[in-house]
Amino acid sequence: MRAAVSKSTREAAVVRSRGTRDLGDVLSRHRIVVCAGSGGVGKTTTAASVALWGALHGRRAIVLTIDPARRLADSLGVGPIGNTPIEVPASALAGLGVGKGGTLTAMMLDQKGSWDELVARHAPSEEVRESILANPFYRQLSQSFAGSQEYMAVEQLGELDASGRYDLIVVDTPPTQHALDFLEAPDRLLHFLDRKIVRWFVRPSMSAGWSTFQTMNRTVRFLLGKIEDATGVAALAQVSDFFSAMGQLFDGFEARVDRVTALLRDPATAFLLVAGPDEQVLGQVDYLASQMAERRMPLKGVVMNRVHAPLDIDESAPEEIASAIEPHVDRAIGAKGRGEASVAGKVARRLAENLAAWQGRARGDALRIEVFRQGLPRGVPLVQVPDLPRDVHDLEGLRSLHAFLFGAVD
Amino acid sequence: MSLADLLSRRLLFTVGKGGVGRTTVTVALALEAVRRGKRVLVIEFEGARGLERALDAHRQARDPAPGLDRLTYLAVDGKRALEEYLEMIIPVRRLLRTIFDSAIYQYFVAAAPGLKELMAIGKIWYEANRADAEGDPRAANGNADDGPHPDLVIVDAPATGHSLQYLRMPQAAHEAFPVGLVHREAERVLSLLRDPSKTGVVVVSIAEEMPANETLEILAGLEGIGLQHAALVVNQVHAAPCSEEELDALRREAETVEPLEAAASDAALFVEAVRRAEEESGWARINATHVARLEAATRAPVALLPYVFCEEFGPEQVREIGRVLRARFEETSASAKPRGVGRGRAS
Ligand SMILES: Nc1ncnc2c1ncn2[C@@H]1O[C@H](COP(=O)(O)OP(=O)(O)OP(=O)(O)O)[C@@H](O)[C@H]1O
Ligand SMILES: Nc1ncnc2c1ncn2[C@@H]1O[C@H](COP(=O)(O)OP(=O)(O)OP(=O)(O)O)[C@@H](O)[C@H]1O
Ligand SMILES: [Mg+2]
Ligand SMILES: [Mg+2]
Repeated sequence: MRAAVSKSTREAAVVRSRGTRDLGDVLSRHRIVVCAGSGGVGKTTTAASVALWGALHGRRAIVLTIDPARRLADSLGVGPIGNTPIEVPASALAGLGVGKGGTLTAMMLDQKGSWDELVARHAPSEEVRESILANPFYRQLSQSFAGSQEYMAVEQLGELDASGRYDLIVVDTPPTQHALDFLEAPDRLLHFLDRKIVRWFVRPSMSAGWSTFQTMNRTVRFLLGKIEDATGVAALAQVSDFFSAMGQLFDGFEARVDRVTALLRDPATAFLLVAGPDEQVLGQVDYLASQMAERRMPLKGVVMNRVHAPLDIDESAPEEIASAIEPHVDRAIGAKGRGEASVAGKVARRLAENLAAWQGRARGDALRIEVFRQGLPRGVPLVQVPDLPRDVHDLEGLRSLHAFLFGAVD
Repeated sequence: MSLADLLSRRLLFTVGKGGVGRTTVTVALALEAVRRGKRVLVIEFEGARGLERALDAHRQARDPAPGLDRLTYLAVDGKRALEEYLEMIIPVRRLLRTIFDSAIYQYFVAAAPGLKELMAIGKIWYEANRADAEGDPRAANGNADDGPHPDLVIVDAPATGHSLQYLRMPQAAHEAFPVGLVHREAERVLSLLRDPSKTGVVVVSIAEEMPANETLEILAGLEGIGLQHAALVVNQVHAAPCSEEELDALRREAETVEPLEAAASDAALFVEAVRRAEEESGWARINATHVARLEAATRAPVALLPYVFCEEFGPEQVREIGRVLRARFEETSASAKPRGVGRGRAS
């Protein structure tokens, strides 16, 4: 048989296979876009590209980015020191045809410094600040409390939104084990900083240890003391000191967490899931979607990234492809052959295997994506971005993703 | 170093960035070990299910790998490990339950730096030492009831940041607590972790910019806590289907194909095949750059594993990875570092 190929490129094939709706709709109806997903799938890249699209369409866009690749940071003009919004110069955007009034700002979220900054911003005095920063419990909390980094991202989001300077805020998220982790962060923190418990700790006598829990059952007190003895961890005094110092800071905290949670639930906020076509998450989409709906943070779109798109050729075995292309390969390299007639044959076979291998993988991706799509709630667009064999980190590269994310626009 | 050397240890940790192939490498190593007759326990941390799923797939495979019955699985949860331990030393279970459920206890666990992590590592230590653990209170608690002790424990560690936190813990705890359970536990764990004849860390990476950066941080981080990595596995490495010289000639030939040539022609298929070869060569070049960076950063053996093109990555591919891994270690164990990459094939 003859193996056939059309002239269309693979990339065009991806655009065609895209659903009828794209992310353009989603963006035009939302002010805040959160890109979530597991590690390394392309959240940061997607977020930057989405923000650029906004700028090109006249929005005052900002991307809140976390740990971008070096060249991406360079393209956006953000340095390693974070938490300062930096506008991409108009001259850099000019060549791309930014629409009237459109601007692009980038801000790098400094995860490690965020808690310290929060403390510094809200501590009533230098003394309180120092005592919090030096507290071992605080250091442990700020470094390892599950969700604290995610929470800080949401805090920053609140600040940016309140500034009123942007009408499109795109939020990149830290790598999490599970796409839901990000959404749960504020709740988890709120639970952790439960007022009743905090107040309980904030008593001067507490630093003395368990014995001061007069209200507590004597046996329980005994056991807690035993746990401390056994482990060698004198944790309570630290916790108490911490909450005493943080007391004033927490006064406004609950309200802030509430505000931040409300912002995530705002109808103007959209969640995009960025995923790879071979991820486990693909099997759990109904769960994910229902969990997100339950939290009133509904999934608004899916970016399937680094997809191996099927080539537009007939199904054929590598041997068939090899014999079909061999005359051309022979013409290309046969003449300079190293005296061996079979060189062209060998190369033709390797080229054919390479083509068929891709095609096999692409078939699998297409199948998995289709199954995933079936589980998606109605009306949630799914777009596909191919695994591009090029660097997408400069502005031109980010714009080249728009054809896949938003259809062939701009 | 041969694969046999690596597998002769008591305890292996597989660490790396999310999605690079830690679980794949863990299973491939485990299958190699059971094939050689060892009893192997694979461990992942509670909440991660990737390893469990991968093992299920192997158990259900039509042609299961040899020795699978010597492979067991365990999910470790630091908080639960701590509670188990406390229940053993303070045997008033019902009351302890009340405490574990109380908010104060939650604060206690959160406040004690790394106690959960230490307990998780402690549990792993215990599993790796079961052979001579009669004196350990946990042995009496029925933990060791599930058959004979393993010869080798392989831990499918969580993605980077978290892994280092676990591995750092024994040292930190040892320094932070001069007395008590934590101190003793940390000391025992440290002596195992620090013994390169018993413990090995296998770092898994892929050869792209960001993941390689993160891997360099892992290597530095491990050094910082006094752990030598036993091997560096670079996964998903693409191989060029032809030489650069051949590619140039093919590209020139492809350019001569008239765009108007019939869609069904072999010429058009040839053009597509060349384009695909160019992309694959492109990835091979990118990979080579980062493989070089990674190799420069380590003195341990580096094993390159091919990117396997297939419709669905499953047990068969993992076994193929295992075979390649064996070959990479074996073929050069006498002389230099193992490396090199074969072509991945469609299934
Ligand atoms: N469509 C694509 N084609 C090719 N390479 C891509 C594509 N999308 C992203 N990449 C590359 O993949 C790498 C990871 O992308 P990115 O940093 O955006 O992921 P991430 O989800 O933010 O990762 P992390 O979870 O580590 O923050 C980058 O080097 C990027 O250049
Ligand atoms: N050598 C390879 N060639 C092609 N694909 C691979 C290869 N190794 C892994 N993969 C793909 O990457 C996926 C993730 O691999 P794996 O689950 O081993 O990674 P992981 O590091 O354990 O990920 P996670 O961080 O999610 O636990 C696999 O399902 C498979 O599709
Ligand atoms: Mg990122
Ligand atoms: Mg895994």
